[in-house]
Parts: sequence; structure tokens; C-alpha cells
Amino acid sequence: MADSNVSYNPLPDGERPRPTRRRSIVLVLSGLLVVGFLVALLSDNGSIAPTNVIDNDNNNVNDNAQNGLNDVSSSSKDPERLRPFTSASSAGVSEKSNRRFGARTASYPWTNNMLSWQRTAFHFQPQKNWMNDPNGPVFYKGWYHLFYQYNPNGAIWGDIVWGHAVSKDLIHWYHLPLAMVADQWYDIMGVWTGSATILPDGKLMMLYTGSTNESVQVQNLAYPADPSDPLLIKWVKYPGNPVLVPPPGIGAKDFRDPTTAWLTSEGKWRIAIGSRINRTGITFVYDTKDFINYELLRGVLHGVPNTGMWECVDFYPVSTTGEHGLDTSHNGPGVKHVVKASMDDDRHDYYAIGTYHEKNVTWVPDNPEIDVGIGIRYDYGLFYASKTFYDQNKKRRVLWGWIGESDSEIADVKKGWASLQGIPRTVALDTKTGSNLLQWPVEEVDSLRLTSKEFKKIELKPGSVMPLDVGSATQLDIVAEFELDKAALEKTAESNVEFSCSSSEGSAERGALGPFGLLVLADDSLSEQTPVYFYIAKGKDGSLKTYFCTDQSRSSEANDVNKSKYGSFVPVLEGEKFSMRVLVDHSIVEGFAQGGRTTITSRVYPTKAIYGAARVFLFNNATGASVTSSLKAWQMNSAFIRPYPDDDDERHSGTEPTYEVRGSKTKYLGNLLTSSLLFLNARNNFL
Amino acid sequence: MKAILFVFPFVLAVAYFPISQCQNLPLIEHTCKQTPYYGLCVTSLKSDPRSKTAGDVQAIALIMVDIIKAKAGGALQHIEKLKQKYPALRVPLSACKDRFNAIIIGDVPQAVEALTKGDPKFAVDAANDAALEADSCERGFSGKSPITQMNKLNHDISIITASIVKMML
Repeated sequence: MADSNVSYNPLPDGERPRPTRRRSIVLVLSGLLVVGFLVALLSDNGSIAPTNVIDNDNNNVNDNAQNGLNDVSSSSKDPERLRPFTSASSAGVSEKSNRRFGARTASYPWTNNMLSWQRTAFHFQPQKNWMNDPNGPVFYKGWYHLFYQYNPNGAIWGDIVWGHAVSKDLIHWYHLPLAMVADQWYDIMGVWTGSATILPDGKLMMLYTGSTNESVQVQNLAYPADPSDPLLIKWVKYPGNPVLVPPPGIGAKDFRDPTTAWLTSEGKWRIAIGSRINRTGITFVYDTKDFINYELLRGVLHGVPNTGMWECVDFYPVSTTGEHGLDTSHNGPGVKHVVKASMDDDRHDYYAIGTYHEKNVTWVPDNPEIDVGIGIRYDYGLFYASKTFYDQNKKRRVLWGWIGESDSEIADVKKGWASLQGIPRTVALDTKTGSNLLQWPVEEVDSLRLTSKEFKKIELKPGSVMPLDVGSATQLDIVAEFELDKAALEKTAESNVEFSCSSSEGSAERGALGPFGLLVLADDSLSEQTPVYFYIAKGKDGSLKTYFCTDQSRSSEANDVNKSKYGSFVPVLEGEKFSMRVLVDHSIVEGFAQGGRTTITSRVYPTKAIYGAARVFLFNNATGASVTSSLKAWQMNSAFIRPYPDDDDERHSGTEPTYEVRGSKTKYLGNLLTSSLLFLNARNNFL
Repeated sequence: MKAILFVFPFVLAVAYFPISQCQNLPLIEHTCKQTPYYGLCVTSLKSDPRSKTAGDVQAIALIMVDIIKAKAGGALQHIEKLKQKYPALRVPLSACKDRFNAIIIGDVPQAVEALTKGDPKFAVDAANDAALEADSCERGFSGKSPITQMNKLNHDISIITASIVKMML
């Protein structure tokens, strides 16, 4: 909470005035107080310390430490936890964070060239306009379906309906007509987030939140109009909607995002819905036999104080022994359950691993210190409203996440679109640590790899930067390994300073054992660069702690984009090298450390390091250690995401459209054609 | 009479007690206490007659969004005039026009929609962005801005709005 700008004039205390002069002294003091009050009121019109954006911890984000202004961001959450996480306050959570007001740097104009480059090649996004939460992901009759929160009328959040797309492989998507629009009193203010459940007999049930004509959040049932249509183009809303309204004592706007249902041993279906009671985030649980009538189960599945509203709750089992995913209804030995929620307050997705007790409908975290909302995040950058589904086709659990923009509205309006979906990831328990999940891009991403360049055992002395000749550097898949000299690791002096990616100076902060990693979306002169890197800190007890960070502070010469640093601690086990995988796809960079123990998604908006001017470098900015790196970098093909062809025959057969380009030559031409079309289209939008 | 003079400053002093005591204040004062610009917050809201009947934080937030819209509209008009007066500043003034336009056609509608339809976090984003746009407009002049006060006002009322909406989360 911000302090009042007005000074508080204390009541006079102290000596007692002599009785004869009491009245006059009191009058004088009263007069002074009145004057003081007036001065305080009138001096409020200009703030001495300019405050900027209120971030999600109610701190004034002000990163101009050089000017001697207090960097409030570093005073946030204590990073010294079992699973330390970066302080939330400047982790770019507020997507439009700011710098000191009116600082004397020129503002950068966005040209059409810069803006049209920002569209991605292999990440899901609609052709235009605004998107947010992924909805109802499911594999049905041979197709992967993705629905999503969509604004058909502009590049801002509003008029939300369900967009729809299908794919055979989670990568090559075809746009379909809107699945559901806001045409009933119970969803007229918004067709909001929901989840799909496939019943054993193959029926598909979709539960979603509607914002009613009075802005009350209710849950509604919908199902395919034609279950034999593999493309699931048309949907029917259950005539008796809504099927659930906020329970007594719960706010009308605190009840949304129903999960996929799971079967209980009694043969009933169970769902979870997030909510809150005062500042405690909770999730309710309901049982149903028919998806129409529900029984609110006593208590809550789980709740955590001071976490605020829980949005987009997700609940699913993970195998403690294998890497394969489990059906949402699966239970039994060798299973732990994950509870995940999106925190409305700080715009981060948190998960925790624990034990589900079906009989008394509770879930207990393995480690309450890193419970939901206060512990581990799926991703330490921009990643919200995420949702998993069980892919029965390949027996894996797949995670989708909404990646918003961290540029300014003027750019979104100009370019006519906003937001992406992250690359879909498999999630599984990390059997080596047992206390976190592993996330990794789905294997189909590998099918986009074209030519590659390999670099073996490159030695980087302290303070070195090395360009990597990988060809075009805006669509890349890089897998890199790093090793430090053992002697350097041992002899480094102990540091008492607790490191945090977000409150550090980024890749410019030189420590004995870091930072080192990659510079992506950099230009030749390095005036723009996005470092994705490791930083190893030595703790008081001599133990090494590794951090994985992405530094946006020099990612662009534009000054209306987010420049914060993201990242967190990443467990590195004995004998493991430092490894990262980085996907670069125009304005999105996704980093995965140690096989996916810690991930960071960022949106990057360079003004110079675009098209043919983008480069990749290796760097080692440590002072006390050389780093040896081996890496492989692939050019990534476009996914050619486009509308499903209008031809009726093809649509009814539900087979994949036949005009897909194949072969590297046609792929190149297709790429060129698509880029040209997109460029021309973008140009036309601005004329 | 003298009793009033006696009591009045103490009443004023009490009015500036820490936030934990501000529950007893009227809604506007209580809300504005939790923003970084108390005085501007109070004067802005009280200049709007709707603030007299505003019953909750959401109503106050909507008034503030309207104020953002009005101030941004005023900024656009002022910028048009300045383009004639300072032809040398045509480039940054045009950029500012785009920025305030983005506030009016992007941020304001998103904020209103988010507040009325029940997902206020998108209104926080929109208000924060409005502050960013005003700040970016100011930066475009590299220190020689003819509209610094106006930009600061737009920036500050946007920050106030963002912090008010955050109370709803």
C-alpha cells in the first residue's frame, strides 16, 4: 500500500503550559496545525519521487537506480526459499511496466517493418485481433483441438468469444469458425474459459464460464452439435444453462474456469472451480453424474491464505515412475497429484505437487512452504491462464499457456493483433528431484527443424562474446550445454549476497561464475540483445546455486516495451552439465533449463535485430571462470498456420487439407510466399 | 466559537492517521489513500458529480476511467493546436497523437469492458498502459516538451486508476 503523500503533523505533546497562558498557546498551536494541513494539501499536486506503474505487489516499479531513486522491486519476496522464485514485483508481471516519468531518452517510433516482423512463424495465433486463455484443449477423433478466448472486434480484451483451431500434430494449425459466441443471457457478457471432458463412451462435454447479463459468473454446459464431425465445428449450449451458479457467500465475480472432470471410484464425475474467500484463494469441488446436476462437496479441495483469487485451476495426476502422462481420472499407487492455479493478483501460474485423498476430498501438498501461489511457477516470464489436457493419442499430458504482449497498446493497435499461445509442452514429474515438474516442447516441434549448425567445445574465457554463424536468426531451435572448470567452481570465494534474476543488473552483472549463455535477437553491434543465461552463485555453506535468467533490459532500443529481467533458481544435480534449450520465433523467446526444470518465456520487440540483421552469440561474462560450450542450432520452418480450406468435401471428410507444401524447396517458397503475404497484408492494414 | 478553533486541527490531524484507520473515512478518501497521488485522486473524483453517489470501488474506478478518457481527448485537441504553433516539433507531436489515440481506442474501452463485465485485471493492464503511453509521449521530446504538465497529469491519473482497480483483485 502506498503511503499518503501528505505529511502527518503530530499532536503537540510534552510540557504542560502554565494555566494562565494555556489558552493562547493552544490557539497558536491550532493555528500552526491548520497552516500545516493547508500546506500539505496544496503541495500534493506534484510528486517528488515520480511513481510509475503499480505492479502486482502494489510496489511502485521504478528501475532507475542510477538516479539514486529507490529500487522498490528489490524489496519484495525473499528469494531464500526451498524453491526460490524471483521477486514478483518487477518480473514483468504488469505487462506495461514503466520507467521514470519523462526521462530524457527519445521515444522510438514503430515502423510497419518492425511490427510485421513480430508475428511468429510456428506459434499459435489467430490471423488478427486479441487472444487470451487457451480453452478446452482436447484430442478428438484424430484431431487436436484448441479453443481460445478471442475478441473478434479488436486487438484489446473485450467481446470475448471462443476461437477454434485444429491440428494433426499440435504444430500445424487450421483456423475454424468461432465455436461459441455470446448469444445467451448467461454468457452475453463473455464466453469465458472452460475445459473439455471425454467420457468413456466417447462423448465430449464442455464446461465453461459465462458472464451473465448482470455480470455474474456462472458455469455452463456445451457439447458438439454433431459428434461425428471430427472438426467439431458446431456447438450446442445446453438449454437448461447455467448448470452452476456461485455458491452462497461467494462473490458473483469470484467463480470461474471449471476444470476437466475426473472419475471417482463411485463412478461420479468431479470438477474443480477456483474462487476466493477474502484473500484466501481456494478451489471448490463438485460431483456430478450427468454434467447437469451438481453437488457442492463440503469444504474445499485446497486453499492458501493471502494468494487472492485463483483463476484457471488445473488438477491432474502425474506418474512417480514414468515419463508418460496419465488420464485425468487415473489414480492409485505411483501417482501424485498436481494442483495448479493462476493468481489473479500477480499474474503468475503456480503449481504444487501433493497427495489427493478422494474419500475426504482433500489434497495435501508435499511441501507446504512451496504451496500453490507461493512456490514454484510453471514459467518465470510471461505465461498465464495455462491449462493441461491428457493426450490419449500419444499418452502424454500437454500444457498450453497464454503469452500476452509486453509492448505498448499503440503497437498492438497498429499491428492489429495481440497475444500468442506458448509452444505446447509435455509435463511430467521430475523423477530425479521428485519435487518439481519437467516441461519440454512437444516432440513434434522437432519436425520443424531444417538445416543445423553444430559447435563443439568452444572455450569462452571470462568476459568474452562469440558470434555464432547459424544463418538466419529469427526462427531458431538451439540446444546448448555448458561446462565450467571444476577448479574455478571450487576456489570461488563464498558470497553472502542472495541472487535474484529480476533484481540483478542482468547479464551485465558480473559474478565469479556467471553470467554465461546465449545472446539471441542481437544485432552485430549488440546495441540490442536478449541474453538467456545461467548465473551460479556460491552460498554461505559453499554450496552452488544456479539461476536461469532472461534479461530484457537491452532487448530493444524502444523504450515502451518491458525491460525487466526474468528467471529463477534451477536445480542442477551432481554430474549434470548446465543445459538449455532456446526457441526463438520472432517476438517470442522460450528458454528451458536442465531439461525443463525451469522455463522462461519472454516477448521481445527489437527495432534493429530483426529480419536479416538478427544474430546469435555465445557469451561468458563471468570474472573467475572459463566456460566450455557445445551447441546445435537449427533453422526452424514456419508452421503455415492458416484457415481450414472452405471446400465442403475436404471439411466433411475431416482429413488434413491436401495442399500442404512439402520438401525443402517448396517449403522455402511457401515460407517466402507466406512472409510476403503477411508483409503485404500488414502493409495494407496501415495504409 | 473558541472551542471549534480548539478542536478543528485535532480533527484534521486525525484525518491523516495511517491507512489502517482510514476505514472510517468516506469511500473516496479511503480509496484515494491507497493510491500514490492522494490529492490528485480526491480532486479528480470530486470534480465529477457522479462521485457523490458512487457506492463501491468499481464505481469509483469507472469514474477514473472516464477521467482518463476526457483528459486524453483534451490532450489530442491541445496537440493539434501545438502542431500549428511548433512546426519543428511535428514529429514527436504526431507520435503523441498516436499514443493518446491508443489510450482512447484501446485502453479506455478495455478498462470499461473489464470493469463492467467482471474481470478487472484487464483494467489494471489498460490503466498501466495509459500511463506508459503518456510517458512515452513525453520522452519523444528529449527533454524539450511543451506539454510536460499535461503528460504528467495523464500519467498520474492513469496510475491512480490502476491502483484503484488493483484493490478489486
